Amino acid sequence: MTRVRLVLKQAPALRVDMRGVTPAALAGLAPVQIERLTITHGTQTLALAEFFAVDSNTTPDAAGELMFEGDLSRFDRIGWQLGAGRIVVAGSVGDYAGACMSGGDMHVQGDAGMLAACEMAGGTLSIDGDVGDHAASSLPGSMDGMRGGTLIVRGRAGDRFADRMRRGSALVFGDVGDFLASRLVAGTIAIGGTAGAHVGYGMRRGSVVFAGSAPRVAPTFVPALADAAVAWQLLARDLARHGGPFEGLAGRRIVRHLGDLSADGRGELILAA
Amino acid sequence: MTSPRSTGTSVGPPGGRGPAPVSDARIINGVVIDDTFAEAFPMKATRLVITAHNLTWARHAAASATGFATSVIACGCEAGIERELGAEETPDGRPGLAILIFSMSGKELAKQVERRVGQCVLTCPTTAVFAGIAEGEAIALGKNLRFFGDGWQISKVIAGVRYWRIPVMDGEFVAQETTAVTKAVGGGNLLMLATDTDAALGAAEAAVQAMRRLPNVVMPFPGGVVRSGSKVGSKYATLSASTNDAFCPGLHGLVANSEITPEVRCVLEIVIDGLTEADVGAAMRAGMQACIAIGARGGLLRISAGNYGGKLGPYHFHLHKLLGAEGGQA
Repeated sequence: MTRVRLVLKQAPALRVDMRGVTPAALAGLAPVQIERLTITHGTQTLALAEFFAVDSNTTPDAAGELMFEGDLSRFDRIGWQLGAGRIVVAGSVGDYAGACMSGGDMHVQGDAGMLAACEMAGGTLSIDGDVGDHAASSLPGSMDGMRGGTLIVRGRAGDRFADRMRRGSALVFGDVGDFLASRLVAGTIAIGGTAGAHVGYGMRRGSVVFAGSAPRVAPTFVPALADAAVAWQLLARDLARHGGPFEGLAGRRIVRHLGDLSADGRGELILAA
Repeated sequence: MTSPRSTGTSVGPPGGRGPAPVSDARIINGVVIDDTFAEAFPMKATRLVITAHNLTWARHAAASATGFATSVIACGCEAGIERELGAEETPDGRPGLAILIFSMSGKELAKQVERRVGQCVLTCPTTAVFAGIAEGEAIALGKNLRFFGDGWQISKVIAGVRYWRIPVMDGEFVAQETTAVTKAVGGGNLLMLATDTDAALGAAEAAVQAMRRLPNVVMPFPGGVVRSGSKVGSKYATLSASTNDAFCPGLHGLVANSEITPEVRCVLEIVIDGLTEADVGAAMRAGMQACIAIGARGGLLRISAGNYGGKLGPYHFHLHKLLGAEGGQA
């Protein structure tokens, strides 16, 4: 399959919409054909070659691979609706990184803007740096947030992380902002650092694991009296494979709080001691 | 009575197994090995991993879940404990046991799994249950049992596997949503003909002990041993199987087709169900070797097997082939 390398020539003046530039869309195309593909820059439609130097070779990866090089902070929707293949970004990306992806693998070696992995349904999105607000949440106006797959943020995350998330796993190695897991429907969230205010605001179901410092728990949560050792071992062993603050998690004791009682009340905040 | 694939069945021809040609038998350590074969049948099976706070409670659950599962004739399935599992072998890091459940169809197996896990594992303190086989058609494990949670059950997908967490009085019962069904082989068997009860029991116990060291097999009868070998049919029209008169010492001289010689006073049978033909064969070989080690001096006179002339079951386990080069005169 094709491995395509796009090297940024210079930072654009306006924001660029990268939807449609996926390994599947570029598969089998010659470099000259790839250069002619169009993307939106502000209100203009321009050729990819206006922004990137293109070269390609073959890769054993059957689904194809797409590599970006440069600071792509003004490039939005990289990996939008990614279904298969691999995207690697050697640098930072703009908003909506990996949004609506349903499969494949995307690795951002820098930071990501707002709404990363929003409405993600499958695959793996790994971000070495920080993410902005509303990561793993829903698109504006939508009812459901992330609904499958795995999001791994090795830096920090902004506010409203996993708002309305429904399914899948979202991990943050560092700190997160306010309203973590607000209106969470279900799924698993793990935080390695410190969480801001209003953790689990209106969460209905789902699990939020705190491997770092304990958050301030709202009075709409109740302490769990029952043992959940089996579920904890299954969860902790899976999280531990990501390393970092989650390493050795299975050997730690936990305290659980159930809520949010203002919503369905079947969610849990798991505080690892 | 035994399972229908050993020495009696509702689908077999009248008369059951025919007499083994003793003239072609081999003798090892004084034990006659009949030139015959065990005839086995395809089944559907699954493995469940039951864990608990300690091995005692895992064993209580496993024993209960595999109870009344000696023969598909009346139990719906055949089941047994395969082996103990160390904490490092289980998904939740607790001690446990692997059990194997066999049935004649995937549908019946699904029914048995749900009933047995629901009544014997869910009810047992501290237990959890997981699928022990990954590949194959999925049948419900915790999928329907979750409704016991009355709306308080919680689904958790971990590493792509869905588990159900059902609140119960000691905490919560965790069950994997499904387990996989695999093709299997049921009805491998050995018959041990001995001078008396002690000798027959000794040989059978040694054989079962040897077989239990092997993976992927269970011996579903009490202690792994069955005394009521059966033949197909009966003089009573309502019965599909009846006592295997050819191997009953008490009927020596009374029935025309008796397999019993005057010195034989007790016959016991071991039925083996396994995940593959090779597993059943390996267990039969191990069992025969354990019996041969006891030898004629221990009171074991002869080893035989049950079949229907090879017309019904696709799996034939020839005793001489299983023993290979060891099957010479001793």
